[in-house]
Amino acid sequence: MTEKKYLETHEWYLLTEDTITLGISDYAQGELGDIVFVTLPDVGQEFTKGDSLVEVEATKTVAEAYAPMDCVVVETNAKLESEPEIINSDPCGDGWMVKAKVINLDDSGMLYHEYEDFIS
Amino acid sequence: MPDSIVSPLQKYHEKNGAKFIDFAGWSMPFSYEGTLKEHNLVRTDKGYFDVSHMGRLEIDISYIEKLSNLICSNILDLPDGKALYSIFTTTDGTALDDVIFWKFKSHIILICNAANHHKINAHLEDQKIKYTDLTRDTALIAVQGPNAINAMSDLIEIPDAFSCLENDTYTYARTGYTGEDGLEIMVSIDKLTELMEYLDVKDINPCGLGSRDTLRLEASLPLYGFELTEEITPVEASLKWTITNNNEYLGSGAIDEQIATGNHKVLKKFVIDSRAIARTGTYVKAGNVNGIVTSGNFSPILQKSIGFILFESQPQTDLIVFDIRGKLIEGNILKKRFLS
Repeated sequence: MTEKKYLETHEWYLLTEDTITLGISDYAQGELGDIVFVTLPDVGQEFTKGDSLVEVEATKTVAEAYAPMDCVVVETNAKLESEPEIINSDPCGDGWMVKAKVINLDDSGMLYHEYEDFIS
Repeated sequence: MPDSIVSPLQKYHEKNGAKFIDFAGWSMPFSYEGTLKEHNLVRTDKGYFDVSHMGRLEIDISYIEKLSNLICSNILDLPDGKALYSIFTTTDGTALDDVIFWKFKSHIILICNAANHHKINAHLEDQKIKYTDLTRDTALIAVQGPNAINAMSDLIEIPDAFSCLENDTYTYARTGYTGEDGLEIMVSIDKLTELMEYLDVKDINPCGLGSRDTLRLEASLPLYGFELTEEITPVEASLKWTITNNNEYLGSGAIDEQIATGNHKVLKKFVIDSRAIARTGTYVKAGNVNGIVTSGNFSPILQKSIGFILFESQPQTDLIVFDIRGKLIEGNILKKRFLS
């Protein structure tokens, strides 16, 4: 069984076979406050680890979610275009942002308890 | 860095689960359950804001002529019991601060921005205007919303719009910064409990400075540090209506010249037909006239992106293009208010 891993930039990803699902952590959505707009990438777009993948607009500020590894987008969560507030209510479930096929595997994210230590 | 000043309402904020921000040396609530929820609460019902960080000075009425020499509005003819929004000007006619005055028979209460508090104190001292600084001995609470007045009427006598009253416990005015009806109430710290219990009984819930900002923007109201600065005059900030002082005042020559020539920067409201936010500092073009966004955010009521732009000169078209982090986004200049 795989479990979610977390980055220092507050994204989570879930690796299943050769695909990752990505979103932002509950801590990140709490810090951002009300999310009102997201700019999602196009399907087929390629990203290098560390590239800005998604732009997240909150009333307080704008933030970016970065690619955790080299990947190519295969699906985006279209529901977020009309209901970006789902990211606030369910950041690690229905608030997922992007599914992407892994190009170069880099599974170096933190486990949840490590991430908890990181943010505390 | 010295520790932030905490509000006299701190224990209530903590109990209510506030998220705090540092603002002008104070630690103040940014939000409780969320900015959008608090925004909608004030637009549809009622809520209260702790604005105790704002400067509160009591000035004897004998200094009114000296005060009049420093602001662009006519305070000399303001009747007792009335409130006045005005601007302290610099020698260049730019804004030192925008403030509210509550005029009583024997004294005036001046409410200034927290970030400009020390500046205003020094300015008054320079002009030999004596004041008593009430800021740290009192709290200031704004109760706002369409149901605010009704909810407050069992506690205090309700003044007319833009009027002020005082009794043994409260000094207050029917003013605000949200575009909704409401009261701003000053109370000494030792008498605060009664007011807080009353708010609780009347189910008037706390709102943070996050929603105060989205509410004031949606109400087309300027914020010092953004739409008004020491680089911007009231004429440029579309606040010509505040210029009612018929006598000479600090910077009046520069202001009169701007009005006469029309040769000045221009603040405009904008709307973007999407949720893409054009934030402070975003570059804009209206034809060949350059501008910069002073404030921009999402309007919860319009469900669109709105804000203010300061243009170098009067734009000749209402069609504008924003450069939002490298992406060109179209929008429109809006001639009326955001909320009609």
